Amino acid sequence: MNIARTYGNIVRKKLESDPVKAGKLIRKGLHLEGFRVKHLSDKRIPAGYKYLNYKGITVVADALDDPEHCAWTNIFAPVEILQNFGLTSVSMEALASYLSGFYLEDYFIDRSESCGIASTLCSYHKNFIGAAEAGVLPVPAAAVTTTLACDANVQSFRYINDIFNIPTYMIDIPHEYSEESLSYVSGQLRELICMLEDITRRKFSEERLREAVARENETKKYFLSFLDKRQRHEYPNTLTLVLFQLFATHLSIGEEWPLEAFRMMDEEIEAYPESGQKRLFWIHLLPYAQMALREYLNFGGDINVTCGDFDLDYIEEMDADHPVDAIARKMILNIYNGGFERKADAIADMIRKYDPDGVVEFCHWGCSQSSGGVMLMKEKVRETGKPMLILDGDAVDRRNSPDGQIKTRFEAFLELLGKGGETA
Amino acid sequence: MLGYVCKYTPVELLEAMGAEPVRIQPAVTSFNHADALMHPNVCSYAKAVLEVMAEGGYEGIVLTSCCDAIRRLEDVLKEQYPEKFIYMLDVPRKVNDFSIGIYRKRILELADAYSAFSGKVYSREALIEILERERESARINAAGEKPDKLRVGIIGARCPETVKTLVEDNGGKVVFDISCTGTRREEALAPYLGSISRESTDPEGILSSALLSQLPCLRMADARGRSDFIAGFGNEIDGIIYHTVKFCDVYSFEYMQMKKDSQVPILKIETDLTPQCSGQIKTRVEAFMESLAAMRGTTEKKIAGKAAESEMFYVMGIDSGSTSTNAVIMDKDKKIVASAVIRTGAKSADSAVRAAKQVLDESGISENDIAMTVSTGYGREAITAAGKSVTEISCHAKGARYFNKDVHTILDIGGQDSKAIRLDDAGEVADFVMNDKCAAGTGRFLEAMARTLEVDISELGPISFESSKEVSISSMCTVFAESEVISLIAQNTEKADIARGVHRSIAGKSVSLMKRVGLVPGFMMTGGVARNKGVVKEIEEALGAKIYITEDPDIVGAVGAALSALEQVEK
Repeated sequence: MNIARTYGNIVRKKLESDPVKAGKLIRKGLHLEGFRVKHLSDKRIPAGYKYLNYKGITVVADALDDPEHCAWTNIFAPVEILQNFGLTSVSMEALASYLSGFYLEDYFIDRSESCGIASTLCSYHKNFIGAAEAGVLPVPAAAVTTTLACDANVQSFRYINDIFNIPTYMIDIPHEYSEESLSYVSGQLRELICMLEDITRRKFSEERLREAVARENETKKYFLSFLDKRQRHEYPNTLTLVLFQLFATHLSIGEEWPLEAFRMMDEEIEAYPESGQKRLFWIHLLPYAQMALREYLNFGGDINVTCGDFDLDYIEEMDADHPVDAIARKMILNIYNGGFERKADAIADMIRKYDPDGVVEFCHWGCSQSSGGVMLMKEKVRETGKPMLILDGDAVDRRNSPDGQIKTRFEAFLELLGKGGETA
Repeated sequence: MLGYVCKYTPVELLEAMGAEPVRIQPAVTSFNHADALMHPNVCSYAKAVLEVMAEGGYEGIVLTSCCDAIRRLEDVLKEQYPEKFIYMLDVPRKVNDFSIGIYRKRILELADAYSAFSGKVYSREALIEILERERESARINAAGEKPDKLRVGIIGARCPETVKTLVEDNGGKVVFDISCTGTRREEALAPYLGSISRESTDPEGILSSALLSQLPCLRMADARGRSDFIAGFGNEIDGIIYHTVKFCDVYSFEYMQMKKDSQVPILKIETDLTPQCSGQIKTRVEAFMESLAAMRGTTEKKIAGKAAESEMFYVMGIDSGSTSTNAVIMDKDKKIVASAVIRTGAKSADSAVRAAKQVLDESGISENDIAMTVSTGYGREAITAAGKSVTEISCHAKGARYFNKDVHTILDIGGQDSKAIRLDDAGEVADFVMNDKCAAGTGRFLEAMARTLEVDISELGPISFESSKEVSISSMCTVFAESEVISLIAQNTEKADIARGVHRSIAGKSVSLMKRVGLVPGFMMTGGVARNKGVVKEIEEALGAKIYITEDPDIVGAVGAALSALEQVEK
């Protein structure tokens, strides 16, 4: 029996008649999942991942229980600043993934499409908007987004703001780094800080922000060290666990727990044996719910995803003495910002560094970031000499991601990797 | 020629360098180049611009950071045409002194880059002259006319000229076009050029400020000016056409909001900028114009009396659909005399002739006794015998009310498209939507599934009633759904269960479509698929309400066409 689906069906029955109750059930479901992860999860999962998984779930579940101390964000938001005001970031990507985890995405996606949202729009956004429209999400204290990488953010957040009247701040990130663009972004961050001071009636503490940025540096050090070891050692994982790393590298970075999680992982991995597995480098979104991929990659004996670009989109050490500027700089120089060539070059460098057996890019439905640049990406990967597989599908909407087709492509790629082929 | 794609481009600055900036409005027939260089799921406009660049003739293109798709277009163009001037101008999304300063710097960097490429030199005096001229020409044009035509505003992304032509051909006048580069340059900028003069020391600053201050597009952080602009028209517009491009992320949000708030009827159309999609667009725009005319009371209302008292005459309605061609003969008292339903062959005009002959034979009425023929449906314009053609949207509305006065929401599922139509209390079309260019949820989808299940299409409904187990067909695409059905067959799933799954899948799509016009009770289903009781049952379950279906759901459109013919004669 699929527990998540069964539980999702119970929630589904309430969606129309009592959306508030459905929302409560969703939150309860997240807490139950947190309990399951902590006490009943698969014995193969290493302690570090277990902790990371547990925190990733409970942070969101707790934040949804306490919306006054929660902000809706996207994955690139300056979460360190929100933490300064006691606000937990709940990204719309994470929310959409959780709703899909309960097998409810079809309801919410249909809901936003029937309101007039284009069917070709990214299903993370459709799922999130549908859930907001349906009234299952508690209204947060604020919403903060950026123009980085994804156009739909500006539109989704504006729409949400129009419905709920949530104080919303959008940070405009110029494409190229220069002194002016740094001042432009820092200026906006300071404006955001003023807005948050008003909303939360709390004073901004530059000292706390310095500490958060210093912690962020340390967290990344552990993560990078872990990644280095990961290329040699086994460390059992699932697609979901790899995806959860984003909580620690993005949504909660600057807090204590990501530092703790990566420290645990970095220490624990040394006890695992050297690995003879094939290693995959994953570009952009991970379709954790895709059955065909789970079959091969969850606790994969022969093949594993050991590295991906999303966790490494900005790894430079940040200047903790000037934390606001450092965060502005991080956003402008994120590899997802600006021209694709820069991103493609950065990813090619990562591939050279981590030397995987193969590279996979998943082109998520409606995502111009992945679909738009995939042909160039393929060229760059070709230059590294690594075989690359391009998959088309939908990371959120199961109906839009034909499993059979993905399975065939993936199996063919595995056959090719086995023979040491070049491309797929 | 130097191409540009966005209204935030400093066209005037380029002109002041002696360049010849040309707004790219592509009308392409295929995406052969683009599909090889970009992913198919990328905005059609970006792909169309790539096709235009491949045709040659442009020395280069100035792009703006307006959206992800255009940013990806830059990457591809740079790679493909290293010898051309491919420039990406990063436009701030916020408008304040700081961003205007940044933008001023960026447009001057553009001038430097173009100068290095072309050897042409920027002249400040020339820019002042151009800006002054623009301001003056806006003044002259301000003395506009107030047409007696239907006034339509166009909003959204990159509206092709064909849409405007359709509006004008159907008794309309485009009052404003605020789609991407739709607004006339001088109208867009002139209000912000007041301070320009020979003595201006910073015309670039004035231009940057004017560019960023113009009516915002939706990529801008603050886009409230848009709703104010539209509200400013008050009752001065009859309808709004909201145009979006396939895979454009930006515009459907505004439509969603406007649909909730607007007092003015709105039609949403989505194109991929190819002529191939003009057929569907044509039906939608025409139907929209018909409904606007009806609301304004300019339709040919029937005049009782004169004609009614005269001797008996007959009219014919022909509905030329993709799957069946249906003909109806009606007498002057609106009584259906005869009807015929035949399968549409390769040529819709030939099928119409056969259907007309069959219905004439059946009724025993001679062709000479038919006072008027009105055609409707997909092939309506190929039918030369018809005195007039009316869209199937209006005809289904008329036909539905003919059969049942209480109908408010119609679901018509035909062979290749499905539509939901909402009627107001007077029976006029208040709103309608059609499915996109995809067979999912149409008669073709059912045909494909019946073929895969190896049952006759007419058996699909009855066998689904024997289903005992819930099976879901989740794919939204006909082709993939077919492979899902094949896998289910391979797993020995009962045909009855699969058939029911297929029906549920259509019901889900259909109810979503109906929700988009609003579920006003008084439901009716028309079109051939209404014969399938399995589909009807699933839709009724999803709606939680009964659906009215006539004995002969295929002929509702043709009946509507005959009623239109009657109105014509009585007029």
